[in-house]
Amino acid sequence: MSEGHSVDRDSALWLERLRRGHPRHDETVAKLHDVLLRIAHHELSRRGRQLKSIGGPEYDDLAQQAADDALVKILGKLDEFRGASRFTTWAYKFVIFEVSGRVARHAWRTHPPGHQELDFERLPDSVAPRAGDRLEQREQLRTLSSAIGELTHRQREVFVAIALNNVSIDLMAIRLGTNRNAIYKNLFDARRNLRARMAAAGHPVLEEDAA
Amino acid sequence: MTDHRELDELLRAEDGDAGCSAGEDILDAYVELEIAGEDPTLVYPGTAVHLESCPGCQADHDGLLEAARRFSDVGLE
Repeated sequence: MSEGHSVDRDSALWLERLRRGHPRHDETVAKLHDVLLRIAHHELSRRGRQLKSIGGPEYDDLAQQAADDALVKILGKLDEFRGASRFTTWAYKFVIFEVSGRVARHAWRTHPPGHQELDFERLPDSVAPRAGDRLEQREQLRTLSSAIGELTHRQREVFVAIALNNVSIDLMAIRLGTNRNAIYKNLFDARRNLRARMAAAGHPVLEEDAA
Repeated sequence: MTDHRELDELLRAEDGDAGCSAGEDILDAYVELEIAGEDPTLVYPGTAVHLESCPGCQADHDGLLEAARRFSDVGLE
């Protein structure tokens, strides 16, 4: 089971009792589901900003679905537990991921990003030059703005939405029909390209970028 | 925003970033080290770099860390 990890006693007990056929299986499953449901509620509350205008029954339904699906995954992956953490921490990871995915899907249905968050015409106010900025800083931001326009379409869309307008990375994954990892790669490449273009234009973000 | 640090943050793309998928597998072990007062960046440097740059994985990390702390007393006996 373990790859250099020893499973602590509580974790071993969870594993043992969650196995089908154990006399306390049903009771243990119910206990795990109960805590997963509490975590789902807590996590939904923590991510409240992304859940604009959600009602009580819908909120409860999201938590219930996340806990149910997390439980199914955990029970199907018991053999994959390696003991690198406590069993409960390992199990909680699944419900956090479920909540994360459901929050993004809910946001996509109810508040998909609009053109103002996806299209690039100019730097948003949060990034744009301010009255008191030095000439060098203004030049740097002008170079950034120009470099954003030179990104590939996908890199620009992802960078503008996530980095400039705080659209969730998971929402962009849904929009573009892919997964978080692929979107992150686009974002990473966009940032790398922008840094390089700014350095090449004589306006590096940091001195070491110019080297 | 014209501060160098803010611009550096906006364009953060560090070498050694492990990406989202690698972090998903070890996120529980990562937060467990934090809870134990150890330094997960020594054991999982690529994920530590990634968590600085990926808002989605940061949110999952923060949620798991909080859940593991808040619901740590769930035992079977």
